[in-house]
Parts: sequence; structure tokens; C-alpha cells
Amino acid sequence: MDLSKIFPVKEEVTPENFEVVMQSAIALELATIPTYLSTYYSIKRAQVQEELHAQILADLTDQSKLPAGTNLTELVHELTVDVLVHANKSAALVMSVVIEEMLHLSLASNVKQAIIGAPDIMSIAMGLTFPTYLAGHEPEFYINAAPLSPEQLNTFLQIESPKKYEDPKDPTIPGDKGLFEYNTIGGLYNLIIECVNKHYSQDADYVARKGKPQLVPSYGGKPTPYYSQNSVNTVHYDREHNPQFASEDDSGGLKQVTDAKSAVAAMNEIKEQGEGNDDGKPKTLLTFDAAGMPVPMIPDADGKLNFLPGDYDDDSGTELSHFAKFMESYSMGHYYQGKFAKYKEAGLKDFYSYFVYNQAKDPKQADFDAYLESLSADDPNYDQAQALATASRLGNAIYTYIMLMVETCYHVDQQTQFNVFMYGIHKSMIWLLSGVGNKMNMYSYVKDNTTYAGALSFEGYDFGTISPKAQIEALVDLLAEQDPTTWAWTQQEEYKGYWKELPEVSLDHVVTPNVPNVPMPNY
Amino acid sequence: MSENTITPTGNPELHTCMGLNECKNLGYTKTNDCAGMGDCSTVYHSCHTLNECKGQGGCGLFGTTMEFCFPSENTCRYQGSCGAPILSSRFIVQGPNKGRSVWQLARKRFEDKMTAAKKPFGDSPKDYPYGPTNEFITLLTNSPGDHSSCGQSGSRHCSYAPLSQREAAANDRVQAANEVSKAEMPITISQCPASESES
Repeated sequence: MDLSKIFPVKEEVTPENFEVVMQSAIALELATIPTYLSTYYSIKRAQVQEELHAQILADLTDQSKLPAGTNLTELVHELTVDVLVHANKSAALVMSVVIEEMLHLSLASNVKQAIIGAPDIMSIAMGLTFPTYLAGHEPEFYINAAPLSPEQLNTFLQIESPKKYEDPKDPTIPGDKGLFEYNTIGGLYNLIIECVNKHYSQDADYVARKGKPQLVPSYGGKPTPYYSQNSVNTVHYDREHNPQFASEDDSGGLKQVTDAKSAVAAMNEIKEQGEGNDDGKPKTLLTFDAAGMPVPMIPDADGKLNFLPGDYDDDSGTELSHFAKFMESYSMGHYYQGKFAKYKEAGLKDFYSYFVYNQAKDPKQADFDAYLESLSADDPNYDQAQALATASRLGNAIYTYIMLMVETCYHVDQQTQFNVFMYGIHKSMIWLLSGVGNKMNMYSYVKDNTTYAGALSFEGYDFGTISPKAQIEALVDLLAEQDPTTWAWTQQEEYKGYWKELPEVSLDHVVTPNVPNVPMPNY
Repeated sequence: MSENTITPTGNPELHTCMGLNECKNLGYTKTNDCAGMGDCSTVYHSCHTLNECKGQGGCGLFGTTMEFCFPSENTCRYQGSCGAPILSSRFIVQGPNKGRSVWQLARKRFEDKMTAAKKPFGDSPKDYPYGPTNEFITLLTNSPGDHSSCGQSGSRHCSYAPLSQREAAANDRVQAANEVSKAEMPITISQCPASESES
């Protein structure tokens, strides 16, 4: 399978190609996670307000170009809060989608596990490289691991578009086109659902794989603590700093797949969270302007965007679909870009420059290594270049280990799955990957005569035959040695739980928990 | 050491916050007269699954709806939810009680537990009726630098007001939110199961 293409599928979904189609659907869900995360980590979502205020004030070098009667202090404060609120909200919206994409990865994996076989997640993670694209999707478009920008949000909108659209840029991507065309991801799932209803509709179709491990909402009637829509990372604040929540409690969750009905329900949940409810209500559509960019929504007099009933993930009308969340970020970003542009002659810069790191599109480990190799050991930038290269390896190792642990959950008993999920995946996502992802931008490197901030490259890490966990620990130790100012804390006894107590998971799914045998909580 | 720092003594009972200690002299400074009157947590951990003992789960940053219903009531090491200490500005981020005070719910759970056990307990320190403030926590010896409260994903000062007005604006907002949480505590309790074992 050509893993740079997410969809090498056949003409229609049939029992003969069901396995490869489901594997491709899993690949699609997996690919969105590093795509969206790369953008999430590019956002400065909790800047020091005074520093941003001072930067905006300093940029307004020609205040004679401001409108007559402008109160400079009030204007700078207003612009500062514009940035803080929008940056934080965009980050929360992106993270809320990331969380639901992780859910979708599990739901698609559950469908495959119930019908045809365990998900092969590691081969996807090891083969995925950016830019990638959805082979078979019409129109075609490249998917980059890139910082937040109108262009990146354009990509997100195309991924999540609920309807067929005409993209004026429509690049011709060389290589495999896929063997059937589809216009939306929801449309692809509709084809899979048709296959399930036609060929896997009987309970007998699920007997052979009954009891195979899945990530499920409950065991024995007790909920598993695997999925929460919200966390502090999906919280954002309005201008009065009142907390807002990017996801609602009724937005769905894990589903155990045991028959056709539950398989279809799992896939419908994926569709509706991504593209909005599917009951024919009007939706906001993706259209393009003369410059080939999406036409934004326009905020009303209260500064709000008025979404349509079909833009929400269900009839309650409380949580927007992924498409609509990205449209909100895109449209409000467009609005603020225009607002900031009014002060361009006075010196104000582009809106996005105030809260997005200058990261490269599709960074690679090779970029960091090449930069390091270009420096002599006595170069003042050598130490940070060395740390950047190691931090990137560590980030890729953790990312790959998370994928290994997700795959392992589909091969082990309930208690082992609990240990892997709670003390491996959960901790790795919240602390370890974020810990590295949020620090990469402190390093810089040069590529093609341009200086960029470091960023996770989300490349599969080849663990070879040595313990993955041991390699992660070795990278942590090396990083602490190379940049003790930033990473010495990893060597302190009080933080040993971050790394030392990760479960030991081998490439063939053998697990050593490395924590006392903690029972599943009694709830 | 600053004259204003607050220093712990001895080996304390391990609990997650001000007013949640079960015994006399088992607050952070061990100077409390009674259970429930301690001045701060005796543990610090930043997140889900990183706590060392029963009762240290904290809450408010990451976790499930059920974990947010029972802050600091985990029965085992590594169980329970996020960061301790629990600041007065910390709010629940998951489930039907989103936006309401974590500390007040933890205190309510503590009072109910002590009442059921027929154990006496006192009021939480009177200057902090809704739990410790960020300013208070920073006075503690070995205080963690980042308390990860309302500022985890935004302004760490809980307000976007101009600097000269920010602390007052933040305190007013947190106070108002805490008063709403207090008034809505019956709703909060009604939207949680009676115990962790009730699913």
C-alpha cells in the first residue's frame, strides 16, 4: 500500500476490499491528528498580555496615520484582546476537533475489529509523510503539517466539507488517484455503511470476532475513563474572560461495535461530528472567491457568526461540526485581518503574525539534522541546534509510541488495556507530546536561507529491535544533557512519573505496565 | 527565605487543598485547630495519573465527568484527576457541571464524608471561603510556579483588563463565579451520582 496516499481503495466497498477500505478510513482519521496538532502547536494561546501590548504599541511607529481622535491606549488594548481571545479560541476549537478525531480513530478501528480484523495503526503511522492527500477525493488538495493561517484553514475546510465543492486551485497531484472518487469523507463513510448494510447485516457476521478488544465506553456496565470531550485545552475565554467550552457533553463518545446497527451508529457519529447532522437541514457551504480562497462568513453587529441548523453535530444545535468550527476560526481570522489592515500604514503587522510561530510547512527531521551539520561545534547556535534535533527525535518517538499503544489496545485484555490507555496514551498525549510540542518553537533553524521556529515533524520513529520505552528515556536523558536549562526537570525524582512509569509496550504488543496494578476505578 | 513565605513542618497527611484535611494540625503548616481548617494542600502534582496516593486526585484540568464529580476522592495511587492544589479560580471543565467551582465541590464532598463518619470539622480558613487564591499559593515554600488554574489556556490572571485593573477585575470575576457555584451546589450535586461506585 502506498502510504503517502490515504485512499488506495477499489471501485466500490465490498467484502473483498472491506479490509483495505477500513484500513484506509483509519488512515484518514489518523492523518488528521498530526495535521491538526501541528497547527495547534503553532498557536501562542497564552501570551503574556503586557508583552503583546508592548509589541503592538511598538509596531505602531507612525501614529500620525491613525484616525483622528484615536485613543492610543484604548486602541492598543482592544487590539491586544482581539489577538488573545481569537488565538485562544482558535486553539481550543482545533483541540476540540483533535480530540474528536482521536475518537474517530477509535470508532473506525472498532468497526474494523468487529468485522474483519484488528487495526494496523503502526504501518499507517510509519508511512505517513507530509504533504499528503486524500487519493480519490475530488477535488484534490494537498494536506500539510503547517502553522495556523488562512491557507491552512482552507485545507481543514476542504477535509471536513459536508458537500461537494469546486476548488478553483484544484491542483493536479501526481501518482495514485485511488480507484473510485468521492467528494466528501462523509460520502466515503456512506459507501462503507452501504456495504455493512448489504453484506454484514446479520448478527452471525459478528460472531467470529466477538470479544476481540475494542476501546469501549463501558465494561460490565461501568464507564471506562477513556474519553472526555473537554479538558482545560478546549476551554477558551470571551473578552470578559468568562470560560467557554468548545465541546458539549452530548457530542458523542466511544461505541462498542457488536452488530450492523452499532457499526453504522459509530460511522454516523464520525460523519455528524465532522460535517454536521445529516437530516437535510441547510448547511454553510464551502465556496471560493476570485483569489481562490474560501468565502468567509461575516460577523453580525454583535460580532457573532450565524450558523445554519445543519452546521451543528445534532438537533440540539449547541456544538458546531468540525467544518463549522474551522469556518468560525477562518471567518473571524478574516475579520480581524481586515481590522488590523486598517492600521497597516501606522505600522501594524498582519493579524496572524501576533500569535502564530514562524514555523515551516511540513518540517522534517532531516531539516534539523542538516542545519546542525552545517554548524561547527563552536558556533553559538550549535547547542540549540543540537537540542532541536534531539527534541524532534523525542517528539517523533513519543508520537509513534502513542500510535503503538493505541494499536496495542486492540490486542490485550481489559486490565492491560486500561493500564496502557491511562498511564501510557493519556499521559503521553497530555504531557509528553504536548511537553515537547510546546517547547519546539523555542529553538530556531535555517532552511533555504530562511529562519524558522522548530516544530514537531510527526514522522514515524523506527524503534528497530530495542525497547521503544528505553529509547524514549535515552532521548530524554540526552536532551536534558544538551539543554539542561529547559529539560533538567526531567531528571528530577519528583517528575519520574512522566517518563519512567510509562508502560513498556513492545512492537508485538507485549505490555509491562511499570505501575502497581491499579484497578479500574469503581465508576 | 521571605518573611512572608509559609513553610510546612513534619510529615503531613496527604490531601489536595485548603480545608480538605481530615485531622487537627494536618494542614500545610500543621497549625490548624481542627479537621477541615488546614491552610493548603500537602501535595503537589500537575496532572491526571501522576498522583502518588489515595485522595490526591485534585480536579479541574483533565479527566472524566465522574472524576470531576469527586475531586480528590480517588481510592488509589494514580487514579483520580488533575492538579493539586485546587485554587479558588479552578472550575470544572467536563460534564454537566462545567464552569462551576472545583474547590467548593471538593469541600462539599469532604464535609459529607466527615459528617457521615461522625467526625468533627471546622470551617475552611475564613479569608478564603472558596479555597486558596493564586496569591496565597505563591507564598508557600516550594510553591509550584504555575498553578494552572483559570489561566491554563488563556490569560494567567483570569482577566484581560488593563494591567492596573487586572487583579481587581480577576478577583471580582472569580468571586462572582464562586457565588454562582455556591448557589448552584444543589444542582451540581444532583448531576453527579451519590458515590463513585454508583454508575
